[in-house]
Amino acid sequence: MFRIFKNKCFWLFFAIFIFSLIMINFTSSAREDITIVEKLIRDLYTPLQSGVSEFRDNCAALPVLFSDKKLLSTQIGELKKEIEQLSLENQVLREYEAEAKRLKELVEFKDATLESYDLLAASVIARSPNNWNKTLVINRGSKNGVEKDMAVISPDGLVGRVGSVSKNSAHISLISDRELAVGAVLQESRETGGIVEGIGNSGLLRMINIPYYSSIKKGDRVVTSGLSLTYPSGIDIGFVEEILKEPNGLLLSATVKPAVDFNKLEEVLVITGYRPQLENDKAEE
Amino acid sequence: MRYLVLLFLPFTAIFLQSTLFSFYTINGALPDIVLVTVACYAILNGARKGAAYGFLCGLLEDLYLGRFIGINALAKGLTAYIIGSLQGNVFRENILVGVLGVVIATLINSGFLFVLNLLNMELFHFDTIIFHALLYQNIYNVLIAVPVYVWFYHSSRHGILGLTGER
Repeated sequence: MFRIFKNKCFWLFFAIFIFSLIMINFTSSAREDITIVEKLIRDLYTPLQSGVSEFRDNCAALPVLFSDKKLLSTQIGELKKEIEQLSLENQVLREYEAEAKRLKELVEFKDATLESYDLLAASVIARSPNNWNKTLVINRGSKNGVEKDMAVISPDGLVGRVGSVSKNSAHISLISDRELAVGAVLQESRETGGIVEGIGNSGLLRMINIPYYSSIKKGDRVVTSGLSLTYPSGIDIGFVEEILKEPNGLLLSATVKPAVDFNKLEEVLVITGYRPQLENDKAEE
Repeated sequence: MRYLVLLFLPFTAIFLQSTLFSFYTINGALPDIVLVTVACYAILNGARKGAAYGFLCGLLEDLYLGRFIGINALAKGLTAYIIGSLQGNVFRENILVGVLGVVIATLINSGFLFVLNLLNMELFHFDTIIFHALLYQNIYNVLIAVPVYVWFYHSSRHGILGLTGER
């Protein structure tokens, strides 16, 4: 029975096993930075992935050449109408914005709105190569000022957070990833205290820590609370799909459908910096 | 040259998985081409070589992913060892052996990953959709296993990979 302990291969195998377990333990996503080897491997992949991404974009543009001209002119007409309507809406909203600013100044209320943040546009060049992690790779890295833990958004809502950065690319952990949790609030009722976390493969999110007396209902819009330093407040996270009672009876949880369709995501915005409201106003003046 | 090809295979597999295949999933599930490559290699080359190759391929995947380095290396190394142990008892000429090997490897690898993730509390909010993903991943892997095993077998017998089994 103890003959196996005399086998060199067994000890080699055992040493590799223990070494791997130690490595797993010390290389969680919470570590400050990835190693040079990881950065090198990623930077080796980045130009190839960017090439494929560009090729796909070019291929996607091909059908337009063969499209029906009549159909295209109809679509252009519709889009022009939409632009006119949106311009009108924009004018009204600008008025509201100015009014809100005046009122905020009156009550000396300072908060971090999306306008206070510097945004960096990036293209999605690759996705997670396995089913266990939900990540994206973007074509912007430390060279462009991207840093770990920066929030990533899209026009539809919150996408996730920068997980790790190499020179030319960055890996984004999606909010549907099991590792992420975001402070959330219901947009209409402004009920706070909820935390939205990823479930994983289903692509859905779960909102937890909702008090039993909450007025939460199906279809409610969930937005970021802005309580954490990473995510600005008021960014769409998703919509409540289902409300469940926790076994203890004191809390509720809700299934949230993300506002962003992660499978169709091609462009994202990285929040690279924060300008306090006062600076922002001065810049505008 | 043989080693260059063996290094090139997982490198290409990760590249394809993160680009091309990530846009063409089966019900949201991605194939694991690295695992298919490792399983085919292990069936043809035996447990020890398979385990070493599986470990290195998994390590490359871990280094690319940049978190919990060693998790895929361990899972793929152990899976390849088990699959490679069957080498002496099967007819490697039969393509079904390759396909079945990949199916078993997918199940074993997922089992190892599940346990290792649990140890790290990564799957704290575990849901059954992982099993659905596993089913579809198996289908995808089998589809890829057919050409990969045929290529591996022929390259090992008459081509660039030159068979060095430990029968």
